[in-house]
Amino acid sequence: MIVVFNSFAANLEAEKGLSITPSLTGFATLDVEDQGGLFSKRLNPEILTIRNSTYEPALARLEKGLTNGFFVVPSDSVTLIQNNDSLATVLYLDYRDPKRSVIRQEVNNTNQALSSALTSSYLESIKSQNNTTNTGVNEKTSGESLPLQIVRKVMLAVLLFLPLFLFGNLVIDSIVGEKERKTGEILMAMPFTSADIILGKSVAVVLTMALQVAMWMIILLGAGFPLKNAGIVYLTVVLTALPIVGLTTIIAAYAKNYKEAGIGISFSYIFIVGILIVPLLGYLSRPSPAANISPMTLTMRLFSGETIAPGDILLSFAFILILSLISYGISIKLFSRDDVVFGPRPGIMRLTLELMGLKKRGALK
Amino acid sequence: MSSRQVMINIEGLSKSFGKIQALDNLNLDIKKGELLGIIGPNGAGKTTAIRIACCILQPDQGDIRVDGYSIHHDPLKIKSIIGYLPEEPNLYERFKARDLLKYFAELYGVPTADINPRIDELLELVGMTHRAEDRINTFSKGLRQRMGIARALVHDPDVIIFDEPTMGLDPATSQKIRNFIHQLKGDKTMILCTHYMDEADQLCDRVALLDQGRIRDIGTPDYLKSKIHGDVILQIQVQDPQQSDQDAITALPSVEGLEVVGGKYHISLKSREEISPVIDVLGRRVISVNTKEPTLDDVFISTVED
Repeated sequence: MIVVFNSFAANLEAEKGLSITPSLTGFATLDVEDQGGLFSKRLNPEILTIRNSTYEPALARLEKGLTNGFFVVPSDSVTLIQNNDSLATVLYLDYRDPKRSVIRQEVNNTNQALSSALTSSYLESIKSQNNTTNTGVNEKTSGESLPLQIVRKVMLAVLLFLPLFLFGNLVIDSIVGEKERKTGEILMAMPFTSADIILGKSVAVVLTMALQVAMWMIILLGAGFPLKNAGIVYLTVVLTALPIVGLTTIIAAYAKNYKEAGIGISFSYIFIVGILIVPLLGYLSRPSPAANISPMTLTMRLFSGETIAPGDILLSFAFILILSLISYGISIKLFSRDDVVFGPRPGIMRLTLELMGLKKRGALK
Repeated sequence: MSSRQVMINIEGLSKSFGKIQALDNLNLDIKKGELLGIIGPNGAGKTTAIRIACCILQPDQGDIRVDGYSIHHDPLKIKSIIGYLPEEPNLYERFKARDLLKYFAELYGVPTADINPRIDELLELVGMTHRAEDRINTFSKGLRQRMGIARALVHDPDVIIFDEPTMGLDPATSQKIRNFIHQLKGDKTMILCTHYMDEADQLCDRVALLDQGRIRDIGTPDYLKSKIHGDVILQIQVQDPQQSDQDAITALPSVEGLEVVGGKYHISLKSREEISPVIDVLGRRVISVNTKEPTLDDVFISTVED
């Protein structure tokens, strides 16, 4: 134990050694236009990665999320201080960025430290020019604040996707209901394949969902919600219904009765909502192309009127397609198995191994 | 039996559910236009066999060929030529009788122009014309069973499979159902699974006795009955039964078997001519004498007990 502790201590003390203490190094990037270098030299490099820049490229980088802020110090800052004139600095921040508070604090600290080093007359002249902060930073912001975005965009996205979760019972009734009413036996004796039955029932539910989503969107538009690109938004939401119905059919194909199916749906819908909403929230805090894997992110960007790269749309649609193929493939496979439909039903683990080809079907222990 | 005459050929059929062997190398041929009865105790494998024939279950081994089509390669073709009536008719409750038949006719791909005449014909066959516009959930079990028969026939199948069609029905309704089945004899190849031996005796051309997944015996009802017992069973009640009576009776050459059931002697005889010598052995102690023809019930019980 002593040896291990000593090794840790040595590492902590070593200049390039490992550190087990939390570090903020490289926490945020700040573009700075400060020709005199008076401020940029005093910004804390342990927290902020400083990048010298100019107005246009810096704002472009801020817009793309490549930097977390842009700090502008007048080019004649040294002269102004020497002439006892007022000095106005400007800090540009993106309100979507949760790191903005740390940057603001660091810039304020730098200003305060610099103020202490200057004469009181210089300090007064700087303070008198500041209308927004006590530390001499004129802060300009872009974008909506995160809470406002959550209220406006996330809630609207959730409202649009809500109908997709209201029809689980329809899927369950159309498949589990056949088992419970024992009409499934007649259905399976008819000249249809399992795929015909599963896909036929799924299409009926998806069409019902499509109608519901259309009505929902008309109501939202009528209520004054800003929904740009309504056509493609509608298409995305309806296409998202495919894998959701597909996953529900897996549960319905396996479940013996309504009770089992109800429990299965509750758990699976938590999982589906997670897949939809987590990338969306991630995108709001830090835009990333990977967040478009969720059709909800794509939908939000579409109805917000954002310009979307074809790759982002493709990613979302590819995710929908792959998930649909997998889910319908599994449910058709399950529904084709007489032991799953008529019993004795194999356990989930055994079934998974059999579907993966790792265990032979019907092999006794 | 030439292969041209065979409508259903079951070959080496085996199926197990977990550790339970439901069918064990089942082999059977059913001729075109024949009505084959399958009788057997609960769990004998009757329903499993017909579910496999309807392509609802998959066998572990073996094959069934229906009109030359294999259940492994042409299940959809087989399904389209089979009409199946399960033990419980299991109909969609909210449909009206006519709408239900129309729905199934459309699913089976019956040409639109033929649907209404076909429905009228079937409703008349099962005596349901007056209830055509009533919902299924207002029907008694007997009426539902009649609707089930109409549903199974809606696409005019070549093969019809009935699984316990009269189970739980009153005698009058059961007889009506039997009459419907009787009307179809000759035109269609039919399989009738039943627990009622008199039903099989009354309707079937041949009867297969299924037990523990294997056919124990098969033949015409008369053949099966003659095989198990003699021509006649003599039931004699005597005063003061004695062991010496039994010894004397079993010593008679025409006696095939003797059982004592509820104080009565049940004696199997080869022919009616042998009744008199048996009575002579017992003399004046005879209280009553009854004769009984062997039934499929006797065949069934005897086979299952074996």
